[in-house]
Amino acid sequence: MLAFKHPCKLAPFELTDLIQMMFVSGETGEPAAETTTLIESIVQDQVQHMLRECSALATRRGSRAISTDDLFMLIRHDRAKISRLRHFLQWKDVRRSVKDSDDKGGDAGADVAAGDADLAAGVVAGGGGPGPEPGKKAKRAKVDLVWEVQSFFNENPPAKDDVEDEEEEEMNFATLQRLKNADERTKNMTREEYVHWSDCRQASFTYRKGKRFKEWAGFGVITDSKPSDDIIDILGFLTFEIVQTLTEEALKVKAAEDLYKKTTGGKPENRLKRKRERGLFDPPEEAREPVQPSHVQEAYRRLQRGNNKARAMLNFTRSVHRAALKLI
Amino acid sequence: MSLAPSLHRTSSRERQHYARPPNQPLNALRLRTPNPALSDEAMSNGSNNNTMGDGPDNMAEEDPRAALFRDHYARTEARLMAVLGGGSKFDAPDALGDGAQPRLEIPQKAHDARPPVTPKKAARTIDEDDYGDDEDGEEEEDTHTSPLLSKSAPNGIAATTLDTPSLRIPPLSNKFGLERISTPSSEQAKSSDDVRKKLQQDKTAAEDAARRSFHTLFYTLENDRDAMLEQQKLDELDRQVETEMSGQPPIATANGAPTAPQQGTLSTTNLGSSSLTLKHLIARIDAQRDMVHASDAQLRSLISEVRKNRSKWASEDRIGQEELYESMEKVLMELKAGEHAHPFLQRVNKREAPDYYVVIKHPMDIGTMMKKLKQFQYKSKKEFVDDLMLIWSNCLKYNADPAHFLRKKALYMRKETEKLVPLIPDIVVRDRAEVEAEERRIRNGDVDADGAEDSDDEEPIMASRGRKAPSKGGKGTSTARKAPPAGLEGTPGPDGKPAVPSLNNAVSNLKNEFLRADSEMEGSINGFSTPPPPGTLTPLPNGILRSGAPGSQADVSEVDGTGASVSGFTLDSEDADLDDLEYKTWKQVTKKDRAVIAAERNRLFRGDHLNVEEPALLRTRAGMRRWLRHRKQALEEEIKDGSANITDGKEGVQATANETLAEGIEGEEERQIPDYYDPVSAMPDISERLQWVEDSEGHVIQQVEEYMRIVPKGLFTAPDSALARKLDGNLRQMQETRKICAKIGIVKQMQLQSQMYTNQFQKYDPQPFVEADIEPMVVSEDGPVMSPYVCTAALQRSVGKIFYHAGFEEFQPSALEAITDIAGHFFEKLVGSLGVYRETPKMKSDIPVPTPDGHMTNWVPRFTKEEAILHCLNANGVDLETLETYVKDDVERLGTKLAGMHDRMRSHYAELLRPALDGNAGADGAGAFNDGSEQFVGGDFAEDIGEDFFGFKELGLDREFGLTMSVPLHLLQNRMHNAYQTQNTSNVSTTGVLMEEPAKFEPVTIQNVGNQIGLVQEWFLAKLHDNNNQDLVEDEDLPPKQRFPKPRLPPTGKISSPRKRPLREQQQMARKKRKLDEDKDDNAGMENGLSVTSSSFSKGIGKPIGKLKLDMPSQKENQNVPEPEKDDGSAVGMISPESILAA
Repeated sequence: MLAFKHPCKLAPFELTDLIQMMFVSGETGEPAAETTTLIESIVQDQVQHMLRECSALATRRGSRAISTDDLFMLIRHDRAKISRLRHFLQWKDVRRSVKDSDDKGGDAGADVAAGDADLAAGVVAGGGGPGPEPGKKAKRAKVDLVWEVQSFFNENPPAKDDVEDEEEEEMNFATLQRLKNADERTKNMTREEYVHWSDCRQASFTYRKGKRFKEWAGFGVITDSKPSDDIIDILGFLTFEIVQTLTEEALKVKAAEDLYKKTTGGKPENRLKRKRERGLFDPPEEAREPVQPSHVQEAYRRLQRGNNKARAMLNFTRSVHRAALKLI
Repeated sequence: MSLAPSLHRTSSRERQHYARPPNQPLNALRLRTPNPALSDEAMSNGSNNNTMGDGPDNMAEEDPRAALFRDHYARTEARLMAVLGGGSKFDAPDALGDGAQPRLEIPQKAHDARPPVTPKKAARTIDEDDYGDDEDGEEEEDTHTSPLLSKSAPNGIAATTLDTPSLRIPPLSNKFGLERISTPSSEQAKSSDDVRKKLQQDKTAAEDAARRSFHTLFYTLENDRDAMLEQQKLDELDRQVETEMSGQPPIATANGAPTAPQQGTLSTTNLGSSSLTLKHLIARIDAQRDMVHASDAQLRSLISEVRKNRSKWASEDRIGQEELYESMEKVLMELKAGEHAHPFLQRVNKREAPDYYVVIKHPMDIGTMMKKLKQFQYKSKKEFVDDLMLIWSNCLKYNADPAHFLRKKALYMRKETEKLVPLIPDIVVRDRAEVEAEERRIRNGDVDADGAEDSDDEEPIMASRGRKAPSKGGKGTSTARKAPPAGLEGTPGPDGKPAVPSLNNAVSNLKNEFLRADSEMEGSINGFSTPPPPGTLTPLPNGILRSGAPGSQADVSEVDGTGASVSGFTLDSEDADLDDLEYKTWKQVTKKDRAVIAAERNRLFRGDHLNVEEPALLRTRAGMRRWLRHRKQALEEEIKDGSANITDGKEGVQATANETLAEGIEGEEERQIPDYYDPVSAMPDISERLQWVEDSEGHVIQQVEEYMRIVPKGLFTAPDSALARKLDGNLRQMQETRKICAKIGIVKQMQLQSQMYTNQFQKYDPQPFVEADIEPMVVSEDGPVMSPYVCTAALQRSVGKIFYHAGFEEFQPSALEAITDIAGHFFEKLVGSLGVYRETPKMKSDIPVPTPDGHMTNWVPRFTKEEAILHCLNANGVDLETLETYVKDDVERLGTKLAGMHDRMRSHYAELLRPALDGNAGADGAGAFNDGSEQFVGGDFAEDIGEDFFGFKELGLDREFGLTMSVPLHLLQNRMHNAYQTQNTSNVSTTGVLMEEPAKFEPVTIQNVGNQIGLVQEWFLAKLHDNNNQDLVEDEDLPPKQRFPKPRLPPTGKISSPRKRPLREQQQMARKKRKLDEDKDDNAGMENGLSVTSSSFSKGIGKPIGKLKLDMPSQKENQNVPEPEKDDGSAVGMISPESILAA
């Protein structure tokens, strides 16, 4: 197995995290080790790439430590992702304050999870189910981005409470779609199944595994700085996003392939297989055919395929466009 | 010029020649008849004429009537000959100078003679002389005169009876002319004149044709290099010859015979071409020779000095040399310049052809000939021609291989030579002494006998000089030929043939080639580019091209003595020129100029790089004029063809104006080169509308209205659109918000600072963005305004706007420029790809589509406009989605965000201001008026807070009374600060009771110090003393910086303990403390500074104490004039109240 050849690969139990993430993202079957290894190496590659870029940005800024702003900067073109990330950070803040107030004795609210846990899923571990309802929504700290309007001016007036953050509306189609899918899938689940599902939803690379994640991501090799918890959390969130996107895309590829096979008949042996009546004790259909590495590769290829924006200035020149690695 | 006269003359000339053989009965007559003709020569040897006794024909009297008479006479003679059918019947009485008879006969004969002939040879202008007169038609009479005369007198009155020779005869006549000393120049010159004239014509015709074809054909430049190399070689050769020559003294002088000691007539002197101008003088001198005390030699040299146009060949003592050499040189030059002359220019190098000098015993080359020419080594045409022929034959001999390329060249050159040789007058250079001796003999009376003798004597000489054979042949046939002179006149074609054998065949051959060339040129001029049929092209042995019967020609050539040799030439004349004739002509005509131009270029670019040292190619005025003229000619031709539009009046005027200009200052010699060869001189077309045109009355025609237009407005501003409006709105919103930001900053600062200084707060009042358009500008053309600078600036402005829109309040110019450049590049590519898509080849469609001009076409563009735009956007990484997202997110949503931010700012500002408003104003706000500020009554805070307390605005009072509705800054500051203090210290600030300000204390001076109470008088005096007896100044009146901090009463009311101050104030205090003494604190504690008014009120009490306890820091402030001051804040209050405007 490839995974064990490399010292910095995820340990098996972390691979289960990966599998859980995939499960949450829609993969119903039991993915082969090759698939997970492939996905894992892709994710690792992406995270390391992010770290490299971040440290480059930080250096340009004149600082040695990377900050959350650098991470935001990296994904700035993906508004949806930015919005999700902000959302995640806000709720993380809320949780922290709730925790603080918990410590103080109050049962300030981790309510949030009720409505928004789905969004913040992947990473938000623990907190454990619906907490007490504090009505402390107002405490949600706003994560300001440097290119937002408030940085236009040298005075920063206190935010008005009543102003709803439109950014939330930006939670775009993809997010809603994911929620809808999850809803569909959980609709008919039994209690045990749902418990498993929600367990899976809490899978995280970083939660309580910070040290190992840092090793895996190459902290200390790629960048010297000691990352803050925020950064680790953001990276965790982003890795989850990567796995999710990749799995979804791979599933799409697989679906297309299946459709094609169905229409053209596919290979003879497949046809034979297909003709066979489903037996009573056959495993459920969805679990039968997990995503194959080829699907993942194709998905990765599709995700890497850039638009020709980068080629804009190369028109009428002979320079060859070398595309940089794209963040998924 | 019609040919008829020439034909007449020809016949008469023939008679002359044929008459000379002594044994013929005509001789005597013939000898006489030419005499008049001779007598009109340059020498115009009057005595000679006199001795001949032909009174009426005498040249000495240059009487037009006589000339006419002679002419007529000649014609008559010819006519008679024709009638009589043979020279033998022509007897003396007829021929003798009987004036009446010929005159009577002339008219009808002329009429008879001309009509049949003229049409046939209309194009052949034969008799034109060589010396500059091109208008042969009008100067028929002139051309009859000998060239020597006509040289100097183009319009010569001295038209003589002498006939100009016809083309067919010159060689023969030349020969005879040579023998007779008194005649040579006349006849030879005449014959060579003819040929020369012809050549000239050919040349001009060729040039004309070439020039014409310049406009119709484009010749490539590929031969220029060859031309240049050849020309270089030629020049080199010239130089070489020159250097070799310079070593030796000219032989001419050495050869020159001593002048005859005895007196001759001046008119016999060969004074060259211009003697005609001096003719009368000479005649006069001759007539009165006795009275002139000067020797002949002296006179001659005098006259020759006066004479113009002497060439370098002219020599006083060698008769005929000038003409001979001049023509020889011309021929040589002509040959040298030919494109095939290259291999023959220099001696064959032994290294190149080791055995050359074994095979060739007598080497010859053009260079050597030049040398010989310059050394005057040629005595006659014969020698010269022999040398020339030697070159070609050498070549042919050495290069025996028929396929050898040099052979071709040699053949070509030989042909060329044959063409040119007739140009050389057949003169034998003779010493003057000899000539004069002869003249004397003639004068001595034995005219008739002598004539016969002369010819007898000199025939052998001629023979010995190598031209005997042809001339003999000529003589042999001469009688036979004289028989059908009528035929010569009437139908020159077949009848002319018999005459031919008498000629030197080689020469006639040449002439005929001239003719052919001539006709070919005509052909090409007329647009018959197809060469004449090969029959006429190939040189015939006898060269009788005019005749359509080759058979008879062949006979003639066989009969002819020299036929063999001539045919020898022609037999192996493999066709030397394969080139297109027109192209050849072009090459020849333009060779030199092309060479010059190519050489200029070559100099500049030698070695494949630009040679900076070389002189640049400059345009010259002459070049430009030439260019213009060429252009005009081409235009005219086009117009003539009818293809061009009819010129309007303007152009006509224009053209003439140009012409006069150009002609006025023409300086340079004409170049036979098309204008595209001279790009340096090319002048861009001036738009017709920009030209200077005058109408018929000389007024300049204003053409302005027709084409001038004002650049429409808005070319350089953003077009009005929803997006632009939104952008502008956002920008305004940002500016407003920034204004509030600035105020917030001021307020925050005021809260911290107790004092404000003038100009401490810069007024922040951003101007709204206005896109300035360019000044009204007038342009003369359609199309966009191409002004890179303005366009860049406009783009920069747009980029700047976008910057601002993205939140940058300021930006560095370098950043702006960088982005502008990138944007420019991007748009370039965008438009470039749009062009690509728009110009994709059209497709055939099934449905015809109407074109803009109403036609139907099946060809439709490959892409519609929309498709093209989408494609090009896509190719450049932009898609509609992105654009839409930008508009939605980055413009529209930003607008709402900005609006929200503005509101937040305003409320924040209001929050900041509110304590100042309601800090101690009481519940109803009445306390706010305690300080008596009338401005406050205006309710101006309201504006900042966004309220209209008193409804003034609602009533429109602010507009009606022009109220500023703003708070004076000092008021605000005071309140802000106090409020802030109050807030921070949580002290209750009480509003003092409003009281009238007491009268100011009188300043303490030396004078009134006695009014003070006794206790303090001493102290005051000491103070005054310290102050140099100046008035003492109140603390309040000190400049703000020197002023002591205002003592405030702590809320406890106890004065003893020093009050806590804000940090800033304390620091200031500490600083002052260093300067002042420690008592100050006590003083401060005593003062009540809680409010402005109260502090001023407490002045009265505090003053003495302060004065008592304080040491005035320095004396400087003494000069300070006490100024009216209301309160503390007034110093800062100088900030214009407008600095805080309503948000």
